[in-house]
Amino acid sequence: MAEHNPFPGENNTGHIWDDNLRELNNPAPRWWMIGFWASVLWWVGYAVLYPMWPIGQEPTPGILGWSQILEYERSLAQVTEVRAPFEERIAGMTADQILADPGLTQYTLSSAKVLFGDYCSACHGSGGAGNPGFPVLADDDWLFGGTTAKLAESIANGRKGAMTAHKGILTDAEIDTLAHWVVELSEGQPGSEQGWALYRGKGCNACHGEKANGILAQLPDGSVVTVGAANLADGIWRFEPGGFESARHTIAYGVNQPGVEQTRDAVMPGFAGRLSEQDIKKLVVYVHELGGGK
Amino acid sequence: MEAGLEQKYNFDVVRWFTIMAVVYLVVGAFVGVWIASELAWPFLNFDSPYISFGRLRPVHTNAVIFAFGGCVLMATAFYTVQRTCGVRLWSDKLAWFVFWGWNAIIVLAVITLPLGFTQAKEYAELEWPIDILIAVVWLAFSFNFMMTIAKRKTSHIYVSNWFFLGMMVMITYLHVVNSLAIPVGLFKSYSVFSGVQDAMIQWWWGHNAVGFYLTAGFLGIMYYFVPKQANRPIYSYRLSVIHFWALMFGYVWLGAHHLQYTALPDWAGSLGAAVSLAMIIPSWGGAVNGMMTLSGAWDKLRTDYVLRFLIIALAFYAMSTFEGPVMSLKTVNALSHYTDWTVGHVHSGALGWVAGISIGAIYHLMTRLWHTEMYSEKLVNFHFWTATIGTVIYIVAMWVSGIMQGLMWRAYDEFGTLAYTFVESVDAMHPYYAMRAIGGMIFLFGAIVMLFNILMTVRKSVSEGSLNKARALPAAA
Repeated sequence: MAEHNPFPGENNTGHIWDDNLRELNNPAPRWWMIGFWASVLWWVGYAVLYPMWPIGQEPTPGILGWSQILEYERSLAQVTEVRAPFEERIAGMTADQILADPGLTQYTLSSAKVLFGDYCSACHGSGGAGNPGFPVLADDDWLFGGTTAKLAESIANGRKGAMTAHKGILTDAEIDTLAHWVVELSEGQPGSEQGWALYRGKGCNACHGEKANGILAQLPDGSVVTVGAANLADGIWRFEPGGFESARHTIAYGVNQPGVEQTRDAVMPGFAGRLSEQDIKKLVVYVHELGGGK
Repeated sequence: MEAGLEQKYNFDVVRWFTIMAVVYLVVGAFVGVWIASELAWPFLNFDSPYISFGRLRPVHTNAVIFAFGGCVLMATAFYTVQRTCGVRLWSDKLAWFVFWGWNAIIVLAVITLPLGFTQAKEYAELEWPIDILIAVVWLAFSFNFMMTIAKRKTSHIYVSNWFFLGMMVMITYLHVVNSLAIPVGLFKSYSVFSGVQDAMIQWWWGHNAVGFYLTAGFLGIMYYFVPKQANRPIYSYRLSVIHFWALMFGYVWLGAHHLQYTALPDWAGSLGAAVSLAMIIPSWGGAVNGMMTLSGAWDKLRTDYVLRFLIIALAFYAMSTFEGPVMSLKTVNALSHYTDWTVGHVHSGALGWVAGISIGAIYHLMTRLWHTEMYSEKLVNFHFWTATIGTVIYIVAMWVSGIMQGLMWRAYDEFGTLAYTFVESVDAMHPYYAMRAIGGMIFLFGAIVMLFNILMTVRKSVSEGSLNKARALPAAA
């Protein structure tokens, strides 16, 4: 269509759309054209330097010889160079030997911090502060022992405690009495006579100990270990939030009881297949040093 | 000036797409603010799987890209093609089919995504029956557009329409290939590609949803609405030709830069990076051509709030098309990838460029389509500032957070071991997540004001009878 130009003198292309849309005959800005050709050159240059064209058996490699895997191997080698002397030394040592050497302990703690953060803290919290249902690792209250040997066992093989569900074995009133008694103990009171009588009479002491502090055995070296039965005589609750309702629930439904729907779930997975022995050793040192290692 | 246009052109379908675009802007931005808040204050998912981040996030992206963006594209493409070709749409019926079909797809997306039906492909989550529906409706949209061009009364095809056409051809191709899947049930399918090929096809689509849909399509909008609103000629015809073809040929190569340092072969990654950087100048071609269109008329920005939206959009466009290529280089990517920096980059494009140019175009359309002034010009200006400030707060929060994440993840101590755990980096993000949510809330507030303003404008038009008067005017020859 040969439109007459309603915008004379502005150097447009002569095409008008929708009454007043038109384009000027200006060239592209000079800096833009330079940039445009520089972009083409950049591409060509990049293709010379880096792998680019999938031609033939192997793509064009680029004269820098760069590859992703080489870059990875180089940076890994840098890190390894720093770590190797430490890693070699701790490979031949036990956790206790590492703990006896302040320099190596510092290395191990630094190295295990990320391991703990990635594998442990989701349940046990940052710095082992614990989470509802997951024990605090930064205190000296241990279900399965706080020695390096016991910690290594716990991390490598996992733990799964068990407690019988007492609903049906005990009457509701007896469960209430025991729950009240446990709350009293946790508050530092001596605990009711009735409670102690039930505790011993029903055999709770078989696992939780004569003094209800969970201690089962004293090892020849003088340390004492438990087998996962909680210390009932301190203020620490295995299952949150603690207190009367919590205690009553645990007594009634037990821990890890198959077929009991409301049973307490308390499983720590084993990491032997997922982490190397060296990593587990580092974690033992780390957890030991969180504050409560024995 | 607008006499007879209502009889000559089909503006009814444009009006409905325009209104729905604003509705979806509010909905999409609301879901975005919600999930941003979930990241900052996780209790907000209320332990319900249906509103957890993983399911609402695709609702947000689909709502803003395909519901809001799609309605804007369809409104403006149908409007622009009629006015620049001087003819009515090829088929009114097909146009209405596109309107109802596209909205049906959006409803299906809103139902299926929270229920967990997904192909797990980013920006292509919808399951295969909906994918087929998308292809059908998209082809109907494209066909109607092309046939309208075919019967045009102008000698040349206007530059906006080149960009719309480029988008239609490429999005059809990309959507169909990326969605190829083997159905194993009504709502379950498996991609025909696997492994790194699947990843490459996915990002070939993913980046070109950005390149052809969110860039080419919205440049089509820019080329109509900027010169129209400014009443100025486009700065350079030649520039528009060169940058159009450079974008068309260049964009399809970029997808690989989403897969740096993965199983993708080295050559594909460096090819993607090289072309990405070479795309800065072609992208700036559009920004420069739009901005230079204002040369000699910059004073208009002081009084014309709609033009403000259009021009700030171009500024964001220029900025994010510089940022993106830089992030595609392996050295930068090693720091930026998987961090919030990427999220910030996307939103400087999405909020700054795409939403900005769309909002400007919609305000322009409102007065033309309802034949009256805006209910409140002041609220348009208010919206301009909320949108801009909200966007800037959002982007800055994500820059700081993203770069901090990248630095924390790669930090080593003197023993050559990682200095931070992942969760420490998450903890460090919290203030920026809160800041991002607040930026989003400010943006959302502006969008709600916009919805109010346009609904009041429609009401004003109804009470004035301005649309009915315009409809009664006979079409000019």
